[in-house]
Amino acid sequence: MEQYLATFHTHLSAMLTCQALQAAGAQARMMPVPRALSSSCGTCVRYAADGDCRALLDRDWEALYAEEAGRYRLLAAAEDDDIR
Amino acid sequence: MKRIHLTVLVTGLVVGIAALVLTAFGNPGNMGFCIACFLRDISGAVGMHSAAAVQYVRPEIIGLVLGALVMAAVRGEFKGRAGSAPALRFVLGALVMIGALTFLGCPLRMVLRLGGGDVTAIAGLLGFAAGIAVGVVFLKRGFSLGRAYRVKTSEGFALPGVLVLLLVLLLAKPAFLRFSESGPGSMHAAWPIALAAGLVVGALAQRSRLCMAGGIRDAIMFRDFHLLSGFVAIFAAVLVGNVILGKFNPTAAVQPVAHHDYIWSFLGMSLVGWGSVLLGGCPLRQLILAGEGSGDSAVTVFGMVVGAAFAHNFGLAGSADAMADGVFTAGGVPTNGRIAVVLGLIAVAVISVANLHREEKKQ
Repeated sequence: MEQYLATFHTHLSAMLTCQALQAAGAQARMMPVPRALSSSCGTCVRYAADGDCRALLDRDWEALYAEEAGRYRLLAAAEDDDIR
Repeated sequence: MKRIHLTVLVTGLVVGIAALVLTAFGNPGNMGFCIACFLRDISGAVGMHSAAAVQYVRPEIIGLVLGALVMAAVRGEFKGRAGSAPALRFVLGALVMIGALTFLGCPLRMVLRLGGGDVTAIAGLLGFAAGIAVGVVFLKRGFSLGRAYRVKTSEGFALPGVLVLLLVLLLAKPAFLRFSESGPGSMHAAWPIALAAGLVVGALAQRSRLCMAGGIRDAIMFRDFHLLSGFVAIFAAVLVGNVILGKFNPTAAVQPVAHHDYIWSFLGMSLVGWGSVLLGGCPLRQLILAGEGSGDSAVTVFGMVVGAAFAHNFGLAGSADAMADGVFTAGGVPTNGRIAVVLGLIAVAVISVANLHREEKKQ
C-alpha cells in the first residue's frame, strides 16, 4: 500500500474525505497540514491505500501528495476556482 | 506525541523576549503584546471610541502584519484569497474582541499575564480552553464557514495598506489623531522599537503558524502538540525573564491591567476561544493571515476594531483593579459587559449551529 496525503480548503472537506476513505477500507486519519506543504493551519488527511483514491476526495480538495520516505511528491492540484 | 518543530519553539521564545523588551521600554505591565488591547488603542486613536486612556496607534500591530507580509512574499506564500463568509467573520471578530476586552487581554496577553505571575489570568486560560473545546465539538459535527477563493492580489493589501497609512499618521501626528496622555494608551515603547518587534514576531509567526487557539485546538482534536509548544515557549520565556528582571509577582493581588472577576474572565475568554476556533485562529493569527493576503482575516480584524469601539462606547470592557495611596479599588466586568458576553455566547452558538454541514443536521 502507498501512503498519501490530501489537503483541503476547509476542515469539513477533510472530515468528509476521511469518512469516505475509511468507508472504502483505507486507513485514513486527519492531522494538521505539514508546514512544508502550506502556510495555512488547516486539516489534511493522511491515508494508506492501493491507489490514490482521488475519486473519493471531497469537492473542496486542494492538493494530493504521495508520501515517500518522509517527503511529499505532488500528484495533483485542484484548479483554484477564482472569483477574480 | 507528534513531532514538534524548532521554528515554533524559537518563535515562542522570541515572542516572549520581545514582549519583555517592549514592557521594559515602556509598554504597560504584562502587555508587551496584546492584539486585542492594541487594536482597541488604534480604534481609539482614530476616534472610533472616546476612552481617553486607551488611544494610540500601536506600531506593534503594523509590524506584525507587515512582517508576515514580507515573509510570505519572500517565500512565495502571499496570495489574495477571500470569500469565506466575510460578514459572519466580521461579526465573530467583533465578538471575540468584546470577550477579550472584558477579560483585559487577548490569548497572547493571557499567556504574558500568566508568565508575569498574574494568577487572576488562570480563570481566563480555563475559559479559553473550554471555549475551544466547545468549538471543536462543532468542528467535529461539520461546522464550516465555507472555503476561500483566489481573488485579485490587491485584496491582500487592504489591511496592510490601511496600516501603512496609520504608520504615516503616527509619525505625522495630525491634530485629529488621538494620543492618550495617561493610562495604558500613554505607556508605550518608542515607535521604532515597537515596529521592529512587531516585524520580527510577524515574520516568525508566519513561518511557524503560531496560534494560541490553534495550539489547544490541535491538542484536543489530534493530540498534536506542535502549536501548543509555541504557547508554552512564550510562557517559559516570559516567566524566566520576569524572574531574572525581578518582576515576577505570583499573587492574586493587584496585577497590571487585570481584575479579580473570575467568572466573567472565564466566560469572556470562553467567547474568545469558541469564536477563534470558528474563525480558524486567534487574534494574532488573524493578523498574520491578513498579512499573507487573506481578505477574510482582514475583515475579521476590521470587525475586531469595530468590536473594540463598541466595547468602550457601550461600557462593555472590563476595568482594572487599582491601588492608590493604599486604597484598593476593585475593577471587574460591568453589567453591560456581562450582558454582552452572554449575548455573544448565544450569537456564537447560533452561528455554530447555523453553519453545520447539512447532512449532519439531519442526523
